[in-house]
Amino acid sequence: MIVSLPPRWMLFTGALAALALAVPPFVIARVRATPDPNRAVHIFFDMDFQPKFRPQSVNPLFADGRAQRPSVLGTVARGEAGLDVHLSDGVVNGKWADTLPAGMTMSRELLDRGQQRYNIYCSACHGYGGYGDGTVNKRAMELMTNSAGPANGTSWVQAKSLHDPLVREHPLGMLFNIASNGIRTMAGYSAQIDTADRWAIAAYVQALQLSQNASIQDVPPEIRDNLKKEVK
Amino acid sequence: MSRFLFPRWSNLLLPTIILAAATIPVYAIFFVAYGLSPKTLEVGYQPEQPVPYSHALHAGELGLDCRYCHTSVEKAAHASVPATQTCMNCHTHIRPESPKLAKIKESYATGLPVPWIRIHKLPEFAYFNHSAHVSRGVGCVSCHGRIDKMEVVYQNEPLSMGWCLECHRNPDKNLRPLSEITNLAFDATAELSASEHQALKTKFDINPNDNCSTCHR
Repeated sequence: MIVSLPPRWMLFTGALAALALAVPPFVIARVRATPDPNRAVHIFFDMDFQPKFRPQSVNPLFADGRAQRPSVLGTVARGEAGLDVHLSDGVVNGKWADTLPAGMTMSRELLDRGQQRYNIYCSACHGYGGYGDGTVNKRAMELMTNSAGPANGTSWVQAKSLHDPLVREHPLGMLFNIASNGIRTMAGYSAQIDTADRWAIAAYVQALQLSQNASIQDVPPEIRDNLKKEVK
Repeated sequence: MSRFLFPRWSNLLLPTIILAAATIPVYAIFFVAYGLSPKTLEVGYQPEQPVPYSHALHAGELGLDCRYCHTSVEKAAHASVPATQTCMNCHTHIRPESPKLAKIKESYATGLPVPWIRIHKLPEFAYFNHSAHVSRGVGCVSCHGRIDKMEVVYQNEPLSMGWCLECHRNPDKNLRPLSEITNLAFDATAELSASEHQALKTKFDINPNDNCSTCHR
């Protein structure tokens, strides 16, 4: 059989079609490699979007657009009246409490929890060791000393060292209250941290203070020698 | 009128047609599997947010823990987007005049929420629970990627059913100790041995379901 080629235009169209087939893979590979605001394409909607409200979603029926309704001003949820001022404010008989509120006991677990929560919420400014040298504090101080003056109105006050003699005198209840409601330029954290966790943080802060102001006599005798070796 | 004769080259038509019939279905399957996969259609979704908040700065450079802002993640199904108050904890004092913070200040003054755009979306018949995962050894990075390196957040994983099941059927290598749960730089697969993964699986009593009703209600 003699092979003869079809007319040129046909070969040309065929080659072009084959080339065209090679384009989509490149386009897809490029799409996969580049983030883009127009992604999340739904080809089949199935029941992906349902007429219901999920947490923090939008409900256009309310003026503020919130599907989750904030509690009405002046109302108090059950158990949140703050009647136990020891628990909610850290106050006993008009003075700062020195003890944990009823139902909480000092334990290793409590301090561990306090440390974990401290490292999440407090260390940003106060630093892991409590010396007021957290990353946010460092950056804010840098902004304050910019050669061009404080950047965009920054007005930062050096975060307090928790080992400041004044802070070391704070009773447990006062530390709890500061964590809850803030003090001076520090904001309160009652919206971000549970009551029990704020107590755990207050307890941990006192443990941290003790750890940074301890003498060798505070160390149990059986581990003193090991500690001395480690320091050397 | 002379008789029509097929030209000699038409002998090539049959092999060409056979070749096309064999290739085109393979091509179509490839196109659907590769092109219409959630890895193409979903991954990389990077909407422009109302406020140019940088996770690379806050979670990366400053090293803020994810939970500083996303407070409900250990307790609830939904990992909450922070209240404007959380921004203002610091930004009352840090760069309060920055034009980038204008919408935050506006929200703080009016009490109206900032219209953040949700990136990671599941179909609304799938019920994912954050607390069930982060309190039992599945870290943030497993589903969200290196958020601490993203100037603008994008979706890093397909979040498809097949992708969920991959881990539900073989969770071991994605487990990490709770102390590293929000540590995005900790690579659980590389840094822990198989026996350590096994120990975590026992400790957390991980026995994931792949029943429909586990996620679909």
